[in-house]
Amino acid sequence: MSDRYLAEPDLGFINEVVGLGGDSLKKCYQCATCAVACPIAPDKKPFPRKEMLAASWGLKDKLVGNADIWLCHECGDCSDLCPRDAKPGEVLSAVRSYAITEYATPKSLGKIVNNSKMLLLLLVVPGLWFGLMAYITMAHGKTMDKIFHAVNEMIPIGMLQKFHWYHGPHGDGAPIAHAQFISTWLVDFTFVPLSLAVAVILALGLKKFLTDIHANAVIEGKAEKTDFSVMDVFTPNFLKAFVNVVITILKHQKFNECSENSDRATPHMMLLFGFIGCAIVTGVCVLLLYGLNMPGPYPQMFLKFIPNPLKALANVAGMAIIIGSGLLIKNRLDKTDGTTSYKDWYLLAVVFIIGVTGMLAEMTRIGMPGMPAITFAIYWAHLVAVFNLFAFLPFSKMAHFVYRTVAMAYAEYVGR
Amino acid sequence: MTTDNAAPISGSIMVVGGGISGLTTTLEAAEVGYEVFLVEKNPYLGGRVAQLNQYFPKLCPPTCGLEINFRRIKDNPSIKVYTMAEVQKVEGGPGDYEVTVLMSPRFVNENCTCCGECVDVCGTEISDEFNFGMNKTKAAYLPNSMAFPARYVISSKIGADDAAKCKEACKYDAVDLDMEPKTVTLKVGAIVWATGWEPYDAEKIDNLGFGKHKNIITNMMLERLASPAGPTEGKITRPSDDKELESIAFVQCAGSRDENHLPYCSYICCMASLKQATYIRERYPEAKIYVFYIDLRTPGNRYEKFYKALKEDENVIFIKGKVAEVSEEADGSITVVAEDTIEDGKVSQTVDMAVLATGMQPSAATAKPNADLKISADGFIVNDFEKGGMFAAGCANKPADVMSSNQNATGMALKAIQTLVNR
Repeated sequence: MSDRYLAEPDLGFINEVVGLGGDSLKKCYQCATCAVACPIAPDKKPFPRKEMLAASWGLKDKLVGNADIWLCHECGDCSDLCPRDAKPGEVLSAVRSYAITEYATPKSLGKIVNNSKMLLLLLVVPGLWFGLMAYITMAHGKTMDKIFHAVNEMIPIGMLQKFHWYHGPHGDGAPIAHAQFISTWLVDFTFVPLSLAVAVILALGLKKFLTDIHANAVIEGKAEKTDFSVMDVFTPNFLKAFVNVVITILKHQKFNECSENSDRATPHMMLLFGFIGCAIVTGVCVLLLYGLNMPGPYPQMFLKFIPNPLKALANVAGMAIIIGSGLLIKNRLDKTDGTTSYKDWYLLAVVFIIGVTGMLAEMTRIGMPGMPAITFAIYWAHLVAVFNLFAFLPFSKMAHFVYRTVAMAYAEYVGR
Repeated sequence: MTTDNAAPISGSIMVVGGGISGLTTTLEAAEVGYEVFLVEKNPYLGGRVAQLNQYFPKLCPPTCGLEINFRRIKDNPSIKVYTMAEVQKVEGGPGDYEVTVLMSPRFVNENCTCCGECVDVCGTEISDEFNFGMNKTKAAYLPNSMAFPARYVISSKIGADDAAKCKEACKYDAVDLDMEPKTVTLKVGAIVWATGWEPYDAEKIDNLGFGKHKNIITNMMLERLASPAGPTEGKITRPSDDKELESIAFVQCAGSRDENHLPYCSYICCMASLKQATYIRERYPEAKIYVFYIDLRTPGNRYEKFYKALKEDENVIFIKGKVAEVSEEADGSITVVAEDTIEDGKVSQTVDMAVLATGMQPSAATAKPNADLKISADGFIVNDFEKGGMFAAGCANKPADVMSSNQNATGMALKAIQTLVNR
C-alpha cells in the first residue's frame, strides 16, 4: 500500500468490458466475498476482488496483462455468492476476451471476429475460397494432374515417391471421396500456411503476454520468483511446470473444484478430448497420405468385422465434440441468470457445427452414394466452420486454451 | 382565537406495535389528550428494545427508557393497551377507520400478583422465544423480568393436567382457563403502524453456517446472553461447552446489503457489534475481538466517537473484508475466512465463537398488514402523506436505531393528530 500509484482510468476500456458481457461490474462494492468464494484463488492476493476494482476504475494495465484473469475458470461460485449481483466471473470473462484481442495482431481482424455484425464476412470469405478450391478440383483436375506429372518428372527416380494430384478412389462402384470435390492438396494448401500464420501470431502474442504478466506479478507482489524472462519457457523447470499444468487441464482438476457451474466440466472435458482425438486422427492421416501415399477414404472395418481403430477414434471424437458442445449450448440456454455474449455463442456454434457437419459429411458420403452433391455441400460447410476455428483462433475465445495454459504454467513456475 | 383553534378532542388513534416506536407515538398522542389504542401482539410491551442488554451509545440497560414509558402509560387513562392482540383487518378511510382486533387468551386475568406459585406446579416446558429458544421456560411464565403488563401468561401449549394444577395453585383466582380468543372492533380516526422488525433468519445465509455450527450465534442472541436477565444470567460463554471466550469474531453484513437476502443496509448492526465488543471486553479483558466488515457505518458524531474509542483497543482487530466462508474445528471452534483487502491476502481466523451481525427485516415483510398500505418490495411500509390517515413509524418504515425511531415516532404522532384535527 505504500507504493504510490497514479490511477489512469480508461473509460473506453470500461465500456468495452461492459459490452463484452461485463455489464454488472459497476455494481461491485468491494466486499471481497468473491475472493473467498473462489475455490481456486490463491491465499496471497486472491482474485477476483482486485480485478473488479481495476475493472470499475478502468485500469486496463492492471487487467490485460494479469495472469490471474486466466487462472479463473469462470466456475460461477463468486457470482453466486456476490451480494451485489455484480457477477465477477462474467466480468473476468469479458476482460479475458478483451485481453485476447489486445495480444492478437492484426487488431483489426480481432475487431471483425468479435463483432456480430461481421459474422457474414467470416462465413463468406472462406465460403468463396473453398468454392474456388472446389472449382479448381472439379473443373481443372486434368490441368492439375499435368502439373503434378511435370513436377514428378523433376524428382530423381528412386529418391522419393511420386506425388499424385488425385487422391480419390478409382474405378466404378468405388465410394465417394471428398477429395473428388476439393482436392486434399488444396485443403492442406489452405490450412497448413494458415496454421503457421496462427502459430506466429500466437507466439508474438505470448511473448508480450508473458512479459506483461510477469511485470504485473512483480508489481503486485504475486510471484515468489521475481526473476523471469520469456526465454525461461525453454528451461527444464518451466517445461516441468508446463507438463504439470497440462496434466491438471487434462484431468479438469481446477474445473472440478467449482460447484456452481460444475455441470460445465464434463462437457468441456468431452470437447477437449474430442479435439485431441481429431488431432491424432489428422496426424495419422497426414502420415498415411504423404508418408505412405495411402489416400483415404479409409474403411470403417477391416475384413468386415474388425473395426478400423483410426475410424473408431475419429467417430468417437466427433461424437464427443457434438455432445460436448451441445450440452454447453443447452447449459447456457437453460441458465437464465448468466450472461452469454456473442463471443461465447460464436465459439460454441463453430464447434458444434464442426462436429455436426463432420459426422454428417461422413454419413452422407457412405450412406448416400447416389447423391454426391449432398455430402459435398456438407463437407463445404464443414471446411468453412473449421476455417473459422483455425484462422480466427488467436482472436476468438478459442485462444483461451493458449493463454490459460501458459498463464497456469507461469503461475506454477513462479510460485503464484 | 385561542379557544377556536384548540384541537378538538374527538376521534381516537390506534398504534399497532408496542415497541419503542409504538410506545413513543402512543404517549406523545395521549399526553396531548387523545385517546389511543395500543395493540401489541406479544404478551408484553417494549418490543426488541426489551430484549437488549444495553442501548448504544450510552450503554444503559433497556429499563432506562422503557420503565419511565410504562409508568407514563399506567398513569394515563386515555391509553388502552391490548396485548396478545393482532389487527385482523382495517376498513374505512382517514378519519374513519374500523379496525378488527383479535385477542388471544392469556389465561391469566388482572388478579395476578406475579407470585409465581403457578410456575412451581407447572411441569410443561416450552421454548423461551424471548431468548431466541436458547433455553426453556415453564408453560406458565412471566414473559420477561420487566414485563409490562406485569402479569403471567399460560401458554396454550400447556397440558390439561398442568393447567388445572396452575389454577389450583393460584391463591388470587387469577388463572382463568375458560378464556377464549375474542375479536373487538374499534373505531379510530388514524392508525400508526409501528410493527417493527424481525432479526433476519440467519439460517438462510448458507455460507455462514448458522444452525449448522453451535458456536455461531446471532447478534440478538448475544444480547440475551449478555443480559443479566438472560438465559445465562449475563455470562457470555460459548454455547457448545460453556468455555470462556479467548476470542470472538463479529461477522458484519450477515444478510444485509446483500441482494440474495436483504438488499439494504440495516443501519444498526455496525454499532451493535461495536457495542457488543464492549460486552466482551468487560467480561474478558484479554480476549481478542475480530470485526470483519465491508464498511463500518457509524453515522454521527457520537457513534463515530464510540468507534474511535474502540479502535484504540489493541485487542479489537478490524478487518476490512466480508466473511464468506466458515467451518467448525474439532473442538467446536469456528474458523472464519475473509480477504483482508487492506493487507491483500486471505485470512482464516479461528475463534471460540462467531457472531453474525444479522440485519433487520420489517415485520410487514413476513406478516403483511391487512390494510390499504403501500409496502415496498423489502416489506417496509411507505408513508403516503398525500393519502394520510395511516402512517408507519420506526423500523416498520426504515431500518433505524432507537434514537431515530423515537424522533420519527414523535413525528408520526403529530401526523395522526393532524388527521383527526383536519377532518
